[in-house]
Amino acid sequence: MTEEVPAFNIIEVHALTKVFNHEIRAVDGVTFNVGKGEILGFLGPNGAGKTTTLNMLSTLLKPTSGNATVNGHRIDEEPDEVRRSVGYVFQDPTLDIELTGRENLDFHGRLYHLNRTLRRQRIEEMLDIVQLQERADDLVKTYSGGMKRRLEIARGLLHHPEVLFLDEPTLGLDPQTRRSIWEHIHYLNQEKEVTIILTTHYTEEADYLCGRILIIDFGKIVALDTPQALKAQLKGDVVSLTFESAAMIPRIHPLLEKKNWIRRINAVSNTTNQSSIGNMMHTNQPTAGSPGIRNDPHRTKSATSTVKQTNMTNHPPTAKQLNLLVDDGGHRIPNIVKLADEAAVVLESVELHKPTLDDVFISATGRNLRDQRGSFMDMIRRHRIMRQARGRPTPG
Amino acid sequence: MVQPLSSQAIYVVLLRELKRYWRAKARIVSSVAQSFFFLIVFGLGLGRFVGGVSGVSYLTYLAPGIIGMGLLFGSVFSGVSVLFDRQFGFMKEMLVAPVSRTSIILGKILGGAVTASIQGVILLTVSGLMGAFELTPTLILGAFTAVGVMLLITAGLVGLGVAIGSTLNDFHAFQLLSTFVIWPLFMLSGVFFPIDVVPLPLQIAMLCDPMFYGVELLRWCLLGEGTAMLGPFGWVISLGVLFGFMALIVSVATYLFSRVQV
Repeated sequence: MTEEVPAFNIIEVHALTKVFNHEIRAVDGVTFNVGKGEILGFLGPNGAGKTTTLNMLSTLLKPTSGNATVNGHRIDEEPDEVRRSVGYVFQDPTLDIELTGRENLDFHGRLYHLNRTLRRQRIEEMLDIVQLQERADDLVKTYSGGMKRRLEIARGLLHHPEVLFLDEPTLGLDPQTRRSIWEHIHYLNQEKEVTIILTTHYTEEADYLCGRILIIDFGKIVALDTPQALKAQLKGDVVSLTFESAAMIPRIHPLLEKKNWIRRINAVSNTTNQSSIGNMMHTNQPTAGSPGIRNDPHRTKSATSTVKQTNMTNHPPTAKQLNLLVDDGGHRIPNIVKLADEAAVVLESVELHKPTLDDVFISATGRNLRDQRGSFMDMIRRHRIMRQARGRPTPG
Repeated sequence: MVQPLSSQAIYVVLLRELKRYWRAKARIVSSVAQSFFFLIVFGLGLGRFVGGVSGVSYLTYLAPGIIGMGLLFGSVFSGVSVLFDRQFGFMKEMLVAPVSRTSIILGKILGGAVTASIQGVILLTVSGLMGAFELTPTLILGAFTAVGVMLLITAGLVGLGVAIGSTLNDFHAFQLLSTFVIWPLFMLSGVFFPIDVVPLPLQIAMLCDPMFYGVELLRWCLLGEGTAMLGPFGWVISLGVLFGFMALIVSVATYLFSRVQV
């Protein structure tokens, strides 16, 4: 949640690349730094390269090219040092469900060469943090999904790593459990000063937890900034007005056009509303491989220009809704309602849409996070090749 | 790939195998029961018809082989459990730790060898109670030696399981494993009949089965003699073959495991 510049970089990544099967560029030359004490979120759709990046940073996978340091140790030269510095909570469960919670932690402690006294002390400490003391001596197969997740997080922290990798920490959990995991993550970062990299394809999770967000798509970084800054680069709020009848729109439209705080007006039919809102917030979509919105200071400037575009050409004659692009929509609603009174039109509803990280994602990649990428067959093929490449033994 | 060994890592993987073995009571019971049925049906049933083999009762002749069968099944499946660890994720926890893969795999092999040998000791006791062996000081000495032999046999067989479990990528090949690996190793190991009474091609096949030497060595320990075919120092040959098999297969398993990707 902090925006200040961190004291030093705990992770430095330079042009890191992983190519599977000579053709799938799962991670394609990513360069970024992570400051000590940060929570950095990798946001991207499935297959974007999030897990592959973490696997390289934890030395589970050898990069095809590029390099990185974790806690000052190069991943290619000092893998054991890197491993000691990292706690990794994998996306898929990796607990031994035939052992108890405490035994799982003890196993981990021994693998990381903690002596008996230290192990006992840390196990108690971690069980306390994730509130699993009472169930510690039960077999893990009797745990709920949320308890297993908490145990995995506790295990990842047992050797006091400098950095904690959380791969989709709340995937498949119910909303209440998700909220509780979020609180734990927040606590660990704030109170225990653990640097955290988490991957997610939930924008609300990234928004809530992360100090900075790295948007990754097709193995490339398309944006990297604080959630606030990313959202601020969008062009404003959208206010949706629904009128009693389509006939009222021509009456209010001239009045709206005169106001210079309304930057854009779109008439829409109800079925297309959602995409229309998204499109209004970000008109200048970068092409794939562009440096990303953070490197483009002109766009924010052009967004604040007073040139107003009105899109009435596709106006379906039955449409009775207008979307207005404005700054600070909440404060403009009273003005808009007053204008409606002046024009003597009847408003059925007024809705305010604030930009979300979903909109940021659409802006940065040109696609929705949950959209399919490319053709369906392309996607299937890409997944199949990546799966094979992961499953197939390769030297290293 | 030369990697430093960590005794702590070897120990903890071994410890996990022991805990899991001890908690899977159903598996212990079913495995002992299986061998028990073999001893009853073949030893007491078929034995009445066959009479004796090499001067001992058929039950006595059979017992070391059935113990070998228990060792074989237990240890190969114990090794193949690396596939389960890979499929159910726990392998990642081990692979991301700052310990060498060689340590992990040695722990796995030791753990499998110890648990399968515990199984062997249970079977030894059961067959003793069934009257397969006469309780003499020589037998007690032989039984202790047999435990050492069991560890040697199972280390190689767990290694075989690990090699297979590191290579397979799903469970579909399990049926093949059972039909084409475990059963031939068992059927050719000379459990039911002496090697010198079968046709030459079958003799050759039996001589190629490492399990044959395992059963031979168990017979040397428990009955005081092996097949006449290998001569009076047959136990030396068997011991040599088993050591060679163990060394080779553990190296292969370590290599294959080092190539496993998460």
